[in-house]
Amino acid sequence: MARHLRFIARTVMVQDGDVDTAYKTLNRILTQDGIIDAVKRKRYFEKPCRERQRKNFENCRRIYHTEMARKIAFVSRTNRDDPWLGC
Amino acid sequence: MFNFRCVFNSASALCRQLLTPLNVNGTISQCGSRRLPQQRPLFLSSVRHQEAEASTGKDFSYFPPMPGEDSPLRWAGKKFEELPIIHIKATYNNTHIQLTDSSGQSLVRTSCGTEGFKNSKKSTPIAAQTAGISAAAKATVKGVTFVRVVVKGLGPGRLSAIKGLTMGGLQVVSITDDTPVPHNGCRPRKARRI
Repeated sequence: MARHLRFIARTVMVQDGDVDTAYKTLNRILTQDGIIDAVKRKRYFEKPCRERQRKNFENCRRIYHTEMARKIAFVSRTNRDDPWLGC
Repeated sequence: MFNFRCVFNSASALCRQLLTPLNVNGTISQCGSRRLPQQRPLFLSSVRHQEAEASTGKDFSYFPPMPGEDSPLRWAGKKFEELPIIHIKATYNNTHIQLTDSSGQSLVRTSCGTEGFKNSKKSTPIAAQTAGISAAAKATVKGVTFVRVVVKGLGPGRLSAIKGLTMGGLQVVSITDDTPVPHNGCRPRKARRI
């Protein structure tokens, strides 16, 4: 980011000379913030029609995954109050 | 001075918090329990906060010392802003490594091509590693020990160049990512149909 202050954003300090962990941390932060994804996508031009299709697909995928994760979390609960208490 | 670090952290956390209500409104959720997706972004940012501030017994933080505040960290007697910088440009076909001092004056310049590799062999991690080792050797001749690394681009030599630097004897203090992300500026080339 040439127009911004340098060495503030997207910077990771290396602890005890452990460059691998620092690089992995940096990579994780970048993927979570969607930067690696954006860079890979912008390598070639994406036509607006393809971009709309992809956004729609990612939306549906996100909805599906959150709902599925919710269901799985619900089904895999073990310690809970007795639902049939009193019967 | 406005704290950019907090802004950056809260901005990324905010973006995630803004995204989740949009998804929740789009779901056909019958249960109506919307707490789980909203809790997750807070958990992510708080985990990173804990990671950054959790002292492993040594008050180490993943964030670099800001130019305004005075931190006690010194490397070979130099502050963080005065350390020399190694720029690594990792393109898909080649990897360039350039060592500059803190003001930007170039000291050492190596690339996979200057190491004797040609054509497709330049776009390999091994070539980047050799370039890193030779750059570190030239740097130690000039009397450089501690160095900050700035990586640009997503190429094959991205990690192995840093590895080569450490193998050549330089001490890496921090890693910055400077990959240019256009906010929809120039139109890139057309998509390949292989």
